[in-house]
Formats: sequence, C-alpha cells, structure tokens
Amino acid sequence: MMPDTVFPVEMVGGVPVVTTPEQVDITNADGLRAALLESAGHGQLVVDMSRTEFCDTAGLHALVAAHKQALAEGGELRLVVAGAAVQRIFAITGLSRVIPGFTSLQEALTQPRSRTGFAPPS
Amino acid sequence: MTAVDPVPVEARLRDIQSITDAALSRLDELGLLAELLDRIREIMHVDTAAVLLLDASSGQLIATAAVGLEEEVRQGVRIPVGRGFAGRIAAEGRPVVLDHVDHTTVLNPILWDKGINSMMGVPMTAGRKVIGVLHVGSLTHRRFTSYDIELLQLAADRAATAVQSMMAQADRVASTALQLSLVPSALPEVSGIRMAARYVPGRGVLGGDWYDVFTLPSGELCVAIGDVAGSGLAAAVIMGRMRSALRAYALETPDPGEVLDRLDRKMRHFEPDALATVLYAVIDTAREQMRICLAGHFAPVIAVPELPAEPVRAAAGLMVGIGDAARRPVTTVTIPPGALLCFYTDGLIERPGELIDDGLARLCRVVTAQPVETACAAVMAALIGSEPARDDVALLMIRRRTEGDDDA
Repeated sequence: MMPDTVFPVEMVGGVPVVTTPEQVDITNADGLRAALLESAGHGQLVVDMSRTEFCDTAGLHALVAAHKQALAEGGELRLVVAGAAVQRIFAITGLSRVIPGFTSLQEALTQPRSRTGFAPPS
Repeated sequence: MTAVDPVPVEARLRDIQSITDAALSRLDELGLLAELLDRIREIMHVDTAAVLLLDASSGQLIATAAVGLEEEVRQGVRIPVGRGFAGRIAAEGRPVVLDHVDHTTVLNPILWDKGINSMMGVPMTAGRKVIGVLHVGSLTHRRFTSYDIELLQLAADRAATAVQSMMAQADRVASTALQLSLVPSALPEVSGIRMAARYVPGRGVLGGDWYDVFTLPSGELCVAIGDVAGSGLAAAVIMGRMRSALRAYALETPDPGEVLDRLDRKMRHFEPDALATVLYAVIDTAREQMRICLAGHFAPVIAVPELPAEPVRAAAGLMVGIGDAARRPVTTVTIPPGALLCFYTDGLIERPGELIDDGLARLCRVVTAQPVETACAAVMAALIGSEPARDDVALLMIRRRTEGDDDA
C-alpha cells in the first residue's frame, strides 16, 4: 500500500470544505474517506469536485460513507460538480438523486436546505 | 532515567544484526515471526515474547505467534484495542512498559497466571497504521531501558514488514480462490442463446467485479453483472454474498426491480458499509425479450445485425447500499434474431482523463452482431490491448441465435 494522500479540509463560514483532485480512485480514496468522515462529524459538509475529471467506485464509496454519516449527524453532504465526466458517473449510479449537487462552491455554501439532486434535472 | 547506556557498542551491533539478519528473510513469514521471537528472547534475556495482530473488522488484537507463552496463540487470545496492556499500545501507537503485572494492568489472565513480573510492548506499524503489537515479558523483576525499547521497536518493524507481506499473500490467494469459485467456470448451455465471457483482474489485485448466468425453473435465462467497491478478499466475500442472495431472490420473484430491491435491503442490513453496482436481467424462454433493471450499473450495448451497436436505453437506478424510497425502473428490451448483447463492468471503458462516453463510443464501434467468442476477442483486443488493465474487467456476451446459425 502506498501512503495515503492527505486531503486538506478548509473551513468556509463554519462549514468544512474538502476539495478533490483531478482523479479520485483507489490510490487516494482512503485519504479522501478519512478527510470526509472527519468532516462529516460536523453534520454539514461540502465536497468540491469541480476540478475532478475521474472518479471510480472507490471514490464513490468514500462519498457515500460520508453522505450517510452526515445524514446520521442531522446534516448533509453537498457536492460541487462541474465536469461532464463526473456528472455522468453520478447520473449512471443514481447518486445524483440522493446527494445534493451544486454547480458552484458559492451555491453549495449558501443554498438553503430544501431539495436533493442535481440542478437542473436532465 | 539513566543518562548513560550500559550496553557496549559491539553488543548493540550484535543484537541489531541478530534481528536484521538477512538469513531471516529466507524463512516464510510465520517461520520468520517464530525465529524473530526466539532471537528477541535470547538477546533481550526475556522469558516470553508474543505478536498480536490487529483484526480491523472486530477492533481486536489476536495472538498470532508466541514463545514462552504458546498458550496465548493456542487459546486464540483476543484483546480489544484500547483495553489492557496490548490494547493500550495499539490504541496509543507507542511503547508501554509495565513494572507490575496483575488484573489492573493486564487483561489477559494467561500473563498473570504465568507469573510474569515486568512487561514491555511496542506497536507494529505499516504506513501510519498500527497493525499489531509485539511484547516481551520477564518472570523476574526487570527495569526495561530505552535501549531495550529501541531494540524491540526495531524487531517490531521487521515483524511488521513480514506480516504485511504474509497478509497480502494470504489475501491474494484466498480472494483468487473465492473469485474463481464465484465466476462461472463454464457458462450454461441454453436453448436459443450463445454466450462467452472474459474476466481479467486489474493490476494483479482482484477487485469486486463479478457476473452470473443461470436459468430459472421456467426456462427463463437470468443475467447478473456487478462491481463491488473495494478490492481483495473483503470485496470478493461481499461479492459472493450478493451473488447467492440475488440467485435466491430471482427464484422468489419474477420482477427484476423487486429482486434488486430485496438484494439492496439485504445488503444494507447485513453489510451496511458495502456499495455496489448491479445489473440484473431476465430473458424470456423464446429469447425475444429481456426485462432489465439497473442499480448504478452501465446498460449493456446491443448490436443488431446490419445496424451500429448502441447502449440499451434502460433507465438508471440507484446503486445497491445507499437506500432510497424510489423503485428502480424495469425496461423491456426486444432482442432481434442474431442480435448480440454486451454486458461489461466499468474497467472496460473507463480511462482517467477521458469521458466515459468516449470509452462507450469506442466499445460501440467494436461490438457487432457476430459469434460470441469472436466478439469477446475483438472487444478485449480493441479496448484492453496489451496494457495491463488498471481495474478489473468483466465482459459477458450473449447472442440470440438465428435459424441455421452456426455460432459455436
């Protein structure tokens, strides 16, 4: 096993924001999972995937684990998704219907909690 | 404590050499652990030495090798992380020295029954993770020095390397055996249908890709393919459970959506951390129609004679392991005579730095309504080529026979 990549967690207005790299896969998913689960302890959490162009099942696994934990803490995990490739993966896996998605970090941080899924629906 | 170390340099070198001796690496890992414990006992003048390994799933340390304390291993001693002597070392990730041993300091009664007076233990680490504990004990009162701790830590590092390689090897052997028992070794002979398949593990590590083909008492043909998140033995075990559960639900209900719904509920209850994509389809006895349901998996590609191949238009449904009130849609697909259905896992079409649709388009260009073995070979050659696959690849081709068809 390679040493895990460390994912920095930035606090923006009291909300932890984890930014994912261009590729999220089996080589760095453990590090991502650790950062996400730590942040999901706060309840509210934003994962900024706007730079990400590839996310495999290991990456999805980390996101889903954090999503479940955030829900259990009474909060929610919000995704910022910009790339078509990642949007496509979330559509195929159905995750776009259960994890709220936003097109910008600003939006993810300011939108009130009311809906789930990506906007606009496609 | 003492500022001057009483151990002469030559003795130190001899001690260190005894532990790092290259001859040790010629032993298999369990042999190495036993030999290492023997040498530790000798050079450190202690009476007992033992290795406990962390079982991550239970959060317990399990006695794996011991000298002077063999009953620890024989009785399968388990110590929860955080409790007792070894549990504290694992929880804190640093050495612990005990100058008296009784029920207040040590959890395992074997250690106090044995009459051990002083103990010292260090964590075994790989990367930044604690994978076990190495401890030594003395029947007579003993004040362990910083030199003793250093030496024991050196031995623990050596043992950790051996254990890592032992566990990786065991995981590989077991998951390979399991995987081979799970993916059908021979596809069933079914009327009106020809089938061929490929399974290639990625980078020598088995992931959680699987497929299954079986008939129902009605004569209908069922096809399942999926990808369990994770790799190695853990993923293979979950895969095996999913495969059996899906077969059981397939016998109970004709609706593919209901089968996946039950499978999802079963997985969420018994394997709450598992996440998987699954495709499940039922082909009727005339082999004219297929009812298909997707749980986060790619729709198959269909190639009809004389037409370009395209992905089957089946609505997406949520992956297994998340939970959502919505039912996954079931789509009915017509299979014209001679048409070829290509089921696959993401390893076939996903490449970093490339859109999935590009990979999918590449697949559609290669799939044509031809005999299944030729079709498999053509797809593997075009999409995998001679590069070692970075992820598992599972591929299953099913073709509806035409009259006078000689697809063998």
